[in-house]
Amino acid sequence: MRYKAPVLLDLRGVSKRFGALKALDEVTCRVDGRAVGLLGPNGAGKTTLMRACLGLLKPDAGEVGVLGVDARRNPGAVRMRLGYAAEGAHRIPGLSGLESVAYAAELCGLPRRIALLRAHEMLDLVGLDDARQRPVEEYSTGMHQRVKIAMALVHDPELLMLDEPTSGLDPSSRDELLQLIVRLRDGDGPAVLLSTHLLHDVERTCDACIIMDRGQVRYAGTLEQLRARMGDDDYEIRGSDDLRPLAGTLTQAGHGVSPGAQPDALRVRLAPGHGPEAIWAAAAAVGVSLWQVQPRGQRLEDAFMAAVGPQEVQ
Amino acid sequence: MKDQVFGVGYRRLPERSHRWVPWPIARTALSLAWRKRSTKFGLVLCSMSVFGHGMALTAQILAERFTQATHGAPVGMAQTFIKGVVGDVHATLANFIGVQMVACAFLLAMVAAPLVAEDRRTGAMELYFSRPLRQRDYLIGKLLAAGLVPFAVMVVPFFLLWLFAVGMAPPGTSSELWWLLPPGLLGVLVAAVLLTTTILGLSAIGERGRTVGVLYVVGMLMLTFLGEQLPNAGHRWAGYLSPSRNIQTLADSVLDAGGSGMLLSMLTNRPAVNPSLALAMLCVAGLSAAGLALLMWRVRKEVSG
Repeated sequence: MRYKAPVLLDLRGVSKRFGALKALDEVTCRVDGRAVGLLGPNGAGKTTLMRACLGLLKPDAGEVGVLGVDARRNPGAVRMRLGYAAEGAHRIPGLSGLESVAYAAELCGLPRRIALLRAHEMLDLVGLDDARQRPVEEYSTGMHQRVKIAMALVHDPELLMLDEPTSGLDPSSRDELLQLIVRLRDGDGPAVLLSTHLLHDVERTCDACIIMDRGQVRYAGTLEQLRARMGDDDYEIRGSDDLRPLAGTLTQAGHGVSPGAQPDALRVRLAPGHGPEAIWAAAAAVGVSLWQVQPRGQRLEDAFMAAVGPQEVQ
Repeated sequence: MKDQVFGVGYRRLPERSHRWVPWPIARTALSLAWRKRSTKFGLVLCSMSVFGHGMALTAQILAERFTQATHGAPVGMAQTFIKGVVGDVHATLANFIGVQMVACAFLLAMVAAPLVAEDRRTGAMELYFSRPLRQRDYLIGKLLAAGLVPFAVMVVPFFLLWLFAVGMAPPGTSSELWWLLPPGLLGVLVAAVLLTTTILGLSAIGERGRTVGVLYVVGMLMLTFLGEQLPNAGHRWAGYLSPSRNIQTLADSVLDAGGSGMLLSMLTNRPAVNPSLALAMLCVAGLSAAGLALLMWRVRKEVSG
């Protein structure tokens, strides 16, 4: 049976400053879903937001609601329902992988015997087999990530928060880890909040996302909506002639025109209610022959670039 | 193999329970310490001190039995000589508290110095507090881990030595020794609290366990040295700088200790005592409070970001 959480995240005007740096700037969003990506370039405020959700960091202003619980007022209740795998090598040297996971379970109040059984179960789930008996200092980055996820899952949370879980992984380990997130999303596991700066990870695993940049939320919603924002009415056109007269005609007709990827290309965003035939008609009117009129597709990368603004694109 | 393992699905926990969390924290810290060779070396050091004091007690009780067997006949010089060599039980138990405290400080430097410092260095602090763990659970867990060490190497051996003395002593002396237990336990518990809080306080401001351990031992030795040497140079107040001297003052006072005897003086370097018990206790309380305050400040700081 899947968890039915009220709303994963409900943030209202959350702000946090570290000296002169505004780490979170009036962050307001409400996100739900089985797997949510927290996307943004380095320094966007993703980890600060996660720490605020855990109650590890008190925001200067605003309200942080996680699974319907106020994280500022009741951090203990929030943490009971959250599993968090932090970025970096958070570990207890000397303990084996199995002991680390069992210890994490005991810290959540599980009796020792159940903690050990559950630790084995979680390590099976994340695919750490014989290595579980070895000290964690001997682990590779991929093994570390698995242990951290097992530690975050061991007390059966309702929301699993992963901070940059794929950073530093080789392609095959990364693929296995993303597979695991997909399995959790599609199975009976907890909902997942995946913080990353890698678009591909979000595209592959998540159904919703929050895009952050410089402490502000630029977008919060489903990936479908985000792609739709880019529109189905974006076209890349290429022709053998000079395209400037065509660009002028299209602009006069109210369509958006910008330079394309190549010198002989144009990017056209059609005005609402118009189809690609409008481009053909305009081309015929100015006597330009086109050899390509192609929908630009709904690439998440474009949506992300549009969301974080022109400075980041540069 | 991997495919089979990966085929395991997520299973929800059938029931949630809540156990007392400080105990797993303490147990794990102690089991990690036990895996180090240096911890075992420290334990050997403490055991040697217990053995030495046990031997001294045996000699004293045998001397007592010998004296009583002679029905106090040629008491005078012979008894005084024997007392001078082996000392008395009161003094040996008081001596044990002072000497064992130094041995225990070495052991604690190995066991308890990394408790908070290493949690900060390895990022384990975030690992703890991203779980439903209260600050007090963490504090109690760490205090329990550090406190169990002096309990095991000071309080329990003191009790066993006392029990041995009471059990072996001739009837007259035995009934007198009964009353040594409460004040002796008080002394040894104060020493344990002092050691526990100071090592954790230092660990809370340190970055690496090993550095904290070395600083702790060097600090203790420095204070002991200053506490012994400066009063000889006329600065009597300096005696209160030495934690072991303050504890010895308490132990001697509560156990009404006489001379520890030539034998024990040869085996151990017994700290001198300070003139004022009240001032010595004030210094001990101040040092303990400072250690505890540092520990609480660190945890609060780490949790609030």
